[in-house]
Amino acid sequence: MSRRFPAFLVLALLAFMVLAPMAGLLNLGSLPGYEMTDLRFWESAYLRRVFFFSVWQALLSALLSVLPAILVARAFALQPDLPLRRALLRLFALPLVVPAVVAVMAVVSVYGSDGWLPLGRSLYGLNGILIAHVFFNLPLAVRLLLPQWQAIPRHHWLLAEQLGMNSWQRWRFLEWPMLREALPGVVLLVFMLCLTSFAVVLTLGGGPRSTTLEVAIYQSLRFDFDPARAVVLALLQLGLCLLVAVVTLKLQRLPEVEIADSATPTPITALHKALDIALILAATVYVGMPLLSVLIDALDGPVLSVLSSATLWRSIANTLLIGLSAALLSVSAGWFLLRYSAGLAYAGHTRGARLVDLAGSIVYVVPPLVIGTGMFVLLSPHVDVFDWVFPIVISINALMGLPFVIRCLGPAMRQNHARYHRLCLSIALLGWHRFRYLEWPLLRRPLGLAIALVTVLAMGDLGVIALFGSPASATLALLIYQQLGAYLIPQAAVTAMLLLLLCLAVYALLERLIGGNSDATY
Amino acid sequence: MLLIEGLEFAYDVAPAAPMRFELEVADGEVLSLIGPSGSGKSTLLNLVAGFLPARSGRILIDEVAIEGLAVAERPVSIVFQQHNLFPHLDLYTNVALGVEPSLRLDSVQVEAVRDALARLGLEQLQRRKPGELSGGQRQRVALARALVRKRKILLLDEAFAALGPAMRAELIELVKELVREQGMVGLLVSHQPRDALIASARSAFICDGQVAASAATAELLEQTDLPKLRDYLGSM
Repeated sequence: MSRRFPAFLVLALLAFMVLAPMAGLLNLGSLPGYEMTDLRFWESAYLRRVFFFSVWQALLSALLSVLPAILVARAFALQPDLPLRRALLRLFALPLVVPAVVAVMAVVSVYGSDGWLPLGRSLYGLNGILIAHVFFNLPLAVRLLLPQWQAIPRHHWLLAEQLGMNSWQRWRFLEWPMLREALPGVVLLVFMLCLTSFAVVLTLGGGPRSTTLEVAIYQSLRFDFDPARAVVLALLQLGLCLLVAVVTLKLQRLPEVEIADSATPTPITALHKALDIALILAATVYVGMPLLSVLIDALDGPVLSVLSSATLWRSIANTLLIGLSAALLSVSAGWFLLRYSAGLAYAGHTRGARLVDLAGSIVYVVPPLVIGTGMFVLLSPHVDVFDWVFPIVISINALMGLPFVIRCLGPAMRQNHARYHRLCLSIALLGWHRFRYLEWPLLRRPLGLAIALVTVLAMGDLGVIALFGSPASATLALLIYQQLGAYLIPQAAVTAMLLLLLCLAVYALLERLIGGNSDATY
Repeated sequence: MLLIEGLEFAYDVAPAAPMRFELEVADGEVLSLIGPSGSGKSTLLNLVAGFLPARSGRILIDEVAIEGLAVAERPVSIVFQQHNLFPHLDLYTNVALGVEPSLRLDSVQVEAVRDALARLGLEQLQRRKPGELSGGQRQRVALARALVRKRKILLLDEAFAALGPAMRAELIELVKELVREQGMVGLLVSHQPRDALIASARSAFICDGQVAASAATAELLEQTDLPKLRDYLGSM
């Protein structure tokens, strides 16, 4: 009972958060303006264009991120003794915590027409969206793919060497079969992230030629005051995400071999090594330069005048409030879900355990902006939604963080349960004592990681807050967006740097504080 | 004939004295290496295979030095305890890789692969994947690959350790037969004294990075004047 009750509560809350807005969405006919707008998909050139652009840019982004990532990950895998390898891999972890709106500014600053390294004439449109998406997802894909090389048994590398396999044959017989297992999942994840990417498209696209469903939803609600169209768009987006989620579940396969400890470096020709290093260098420059430009651009800007504005400090307070509350909520919910699913898995109900975990990742299927739209439609007749901005934004950001909590904490919790549950029962180590002596010391590292990650993601999110935020409730991310909209570019650059530094500081602090002093990586 | 002379090796981290091996094994012989964990048995195999670089000393095969050769160029095949086969390839392909990693085999080579599989009683299973086989069958496939490679030296690094006693005995008999037939030189690392008795007329006791003793297997196992050997074997 003690295990089940909180988990059921969380599941009920999740269902409510997803289903209640859905009810609002489906109550389409009652919305004002429904008869006036032409919303039949196949008759509306606008809807069709938005729909196809969403899919097209996500597809291109996924391919442009994952294909180079394979090469870069291979270079990392085959060069285990590369100097600074660990530091470079840490750099590749950074884009995950860089707020999208900051990244967009950085990408424009480096790759825009006036940038250090112009890629194309204008970044506003598909071109820029792709560059920004690759900035986020190439490093992510590298980090997701790299463990596949580590999963190749050491003996296979030795055999390959003895059998005299060359680089191509090793790729064909050792690396590709391992990679193949993970590749569909990684491609689909990146596709989904780009499909639901909001801030990037909002800032770099948004014109009639380059609007995605997510941004179109926002525009319908905030500018055109056309909730009916927003609902139709949200339903389209929902259908698309459901489709991708179903395909992902179907494609997921378990590896054919057991996981071995580590990869063994194989002798590699000098040319091969030089190519690998060049690849790594190119990827590092691509990811590193925009990050550097955030600092450089800001130090050129009006740092003092921005720092002395009251708006900035209120935004900082809002940002921290939303970030920390969302993380607390998300990690608590995730903890109870995982504790329940670990028990189920241990008792042999693997299907049930999987379902509980999947429920935690519901936000992949029902995008935050769809939930936000639903809430907007549901609440707006009754209350002033702008008064409710904090509870709404915090709960939706907590929901967005839940998949990360489950990824960070899930494996460790399940392993813990399988190893020590019987022992705990036999010595009656229960409740608080079990947490204090067993779970906290063994789980604090993934716990710290999860809290740090969700806090920073919520702090930098420019999604739901854009839908509901007002100047009084603005976070730093929204403030940057407003500054950009008012062409206060130097001010925006300073705010962007502050947001980035704040995110990094909070991340490091939380990870250290909760995770303990350990330099072990995850 | 395999002749190992003053073959030295030291791990970077170990402050201990370097390992130094001397050994001689005749054609058609399977020599068993016994000894405690960490004594250097696997290190010796890795040195012969070339996975580890020797600091000094010689490895002569039929009087030709091989210590300077790259791994793939050495006349050596190795069978590990596990992960000998690529799990996504069928048995035929796994064996064929031993002939030619490009998998471009001529008809003679294809015939050789078929023969080797038949010789090990696997001809019905050619198109199966390793995951569908028992542990003993998987090691047979690894032996079939060693057979088609036609290399002089066959290294067995606890190759049968995960198998039951009857299966171990059966495969060891098979190895003896193959080694004798092909005039190969076999080195078998095992933790079971019984394996050494079945496999080898002569065995070597490896201890502290050296060949501490080598003698007829039955005599070696009875030897009382080597305290470390007694400690390793325990009361038998």
